[in-house]
Amino acid sequence: MAILVLLLIPLLASAATVPMRSVRQMELVYLLSAAGSFLAACWLAGEVLRSGTVQWGDGFLYADHLSALVAVLTAFVYLVSAPYAVGYFRRDDEQHVFDETGKGGASASKLRKYYALTPVFGFSMFLVAVSNNLGVLWIAVESTTLASIFLVTFYGGRTSLEAAWKYAILGGVGLSMALFGTVLTYYAAHQILGGESLNVLNWSVLAASASQFDKTVMRLSFILVLLGYGTKAGLAPMHTWKPDAYSEAPAPVAALMATAVVNCALYALARFYVLTGRCLGPSFASHLLILFGLLSVGIAVPFILVQGSYRRLLAYSSIDHGGIMVLGLGFGGPLGALGMLLHMTFHSVTKPLLFFCAGNAQQHTGNDSLRRGPGGLLHSLPVSAPMFLLAALAVTGTPPFSMFQSEFMILRAGFAAHQVGSVVLFVALVVAIFCGFFYHIANLVFGPATGLPRGEFSRWKTFPVIGLSLIIVILGFWLPAPLYALVDGAARILAVQP
Amino acid sequence: MLFEDPQFGNKLITMMAAALLVLQIMMVAQRWLITNIRAFGVQSFLLACIAATIAHFNHAPHIYIVAVLTLVFKALLLPIVLERLALKIEIRQEIEPFVNVPVSVIVSGLLTLLAYVVAESFHRPEEAAGPGRLGHNTLAVAIALFLIGFFMMVNRRKALTQVLALLCLENGLFLAAISLTYGMPLIVEAGIFFDVLVATLLLAILSYRIRETFDSMDVSRLSRLRG
Repeated sequence: MAILVLLLIPLLASAATVPMRSVRQMELVYLLSAAGSFLAACWLAGEVLRSGTVQWGDGFLYADHLSALVAVLTAFVYLVSAPYAVGYFRRDDEQHVFDETGKGGASASKLRKYYALTPVFGFSMFLVAVSNNLGVLWIAVESTTLASIFLVTFYGGRTSLEAAWKYAILGGVGLSMALFGTVLTYYAAHQILGGESLNVLNWSVLAASASQFDKTVMRLSFILVLLGYGTKAGLAPMHTWKPDAYSEAPAPVAALMATAVVNCALYALARFYVLTGRCLGPSFASHLLILFGLLSVGIAVPFILVQGSYRRLLAYSSIDHGGIMVLGLGFGGPLGALGMLLHMTFHSVTKPLLFFCAGNAQQHTGNDSLRRGPGGLLHSLPVSAPMFLLAALAVTGTPPFSMFQSEFMILRAGFAAHQVGSVVLFVALVVAIFCGFFYHIANLVFGPATGLPRGEFSRWKTFPVIGLSLIIVILGFWLPAPLYALVDGAARILAVQP
Repeated sequence: MLFEDPQFGNKLITMMAAALLVLQIMMVAQRWLITNIRAFGVQSFLLACIAATIAHFNHAPHIYIVAVLTLVFKALLLPIVLERLALKIEIRQEIEPFVNVPVSVIVSGLLTLLAYVVAESFHRPEEAAGPGRLGHNTLAVAIALFLIGFFMMVNRRKALTQVLALLCLENGLFLAAISLTYGMPLIVEAGIFFDVLVATLLLAILSYRIRETFDSMDVSRLSRLRG
């Protein structure tokens, strides 16, 4: 039941928004859908914690700890971005961003696009989390791309078209590789299980018999899936669409893409990782994952050090964190999987805060440049600027904050897996990223007053920032027991025994 | 009867797969956009024929639906939409690849060779003897279409021609799906079809907007976002 409710809420919200004319009504429906989805996701997580797995429709929809965790994180980001989006677009509207002709009335049609498409975007991400069938999983991941293309072109300028084009074409190629990988997995399963029924592609069925699959086919399949879903997660070297899309999309969309979409893509990858691990033993997939993980963290370093725009800085940080999660999965063992999932959880809380602060700063100063930007944000944004600094410290893994713990756990997993060289390289890269990140954000926040008017725009934009900051500080010291139980259960699914 | 003999079906499918490959290389080799779109249409038509043949000889009725879907959407609807778009935006009707035609054809040949090497690892002689097993030729052709599709994609600079390359790549994928496993479960296949269709239409709209905004469909001009 909980699964169906989770999927239906955003769909209904989207359908309800289409005929609306008043922006206030759209905002209300959007906020309600976000709150409803979060409650439904928590309900689903509760059921999973109580009974292990939840199924619907003969195993067509299926949720275990891993699915529930991804659903809860997606719903959380959706929830916090909703009030922020309301404030963000009210501010845009006040600045007449949508009203090029000066006649008025343009904002309702433009905003309808956002308020109708974002729930569909949310729906496809929930479907990623709860679909058991690997084909349906692929369809859901592809739908997240389709739903978000027009959110990237929201402002409709030349640069946003360019970003959307790269996003669409790279996403299309990447996902076709993932589909090929899925077809090959089906082929491998078909030889063993036979039959034409839908169940042959169900992950729960595949996972039970993966050890008998043809090894050559599964090897090729995993490489294709890694390249495919890796493109969607923004792993290097398929990451080039990411900085463009994140810097052109409106800040709440960028927050969703940088956390929830990355989670979904890595979730899909992790499902295949389990199958491959059971078929070939853990070492084949692990080596590939460690390679791609280190490459992603490494590629982020130079771009973060010399970055000229803070929106793009955040995108490279997201490539870096995608790499760290993949690295955790690659180191493997119970510790690696736990580190990866904890990192996913903490990243989903921290990154939206960064995007919200960046969005506030961008709307306040009118650009997102780190070079031309005058600095001294502290004087004009009394809430967002210090929180920006706090979030920058949190996201680079500075000790009191929670991401330090998860990164440390991934380090320990690396030592346990005897990957000392990779671990040393990883630490060096993370330190370099910390330096670059902190230098840029400190330059932006501190400095003499620049004469911009002082004051935040509205509570809609500051409350999500304050709320998230509180959660980040609390998570550094205390992880709620049900959440930990969920993460721990999910890590057990991913830990492939050698 | 001829139409009940699996050997005949096998030969028929191999022949059509070969024609698919020839069409693909023809698309690499010739320069006119409209011809390219039509070649894609013919290719999709052949793909539908292959699907129908497999459905007939293996008694798998649900593949008929796949064949009809391919015929309606990929062989008719998409070529018509793309051709209209190409005429509407009045671009110069030449493709202008980065690598010149002779080299492109040689690269395609090498990719085909590579595809046969990869497909060889799937080949199991003991199974090939059984009824209904397709020769591994079909899989090799599918992989070749996929790889050449990739090559076309990086080799072309105009938005619409990149969309076309993506579609060819997906044709390879469908061929692999139906020849390896006689089709995925129907609901999955239908969903994938729907997604591919929507993605193509989205890309077509985007390329139209690129033309409107930049006065050109040359994606190598999309270079403002760096670093």
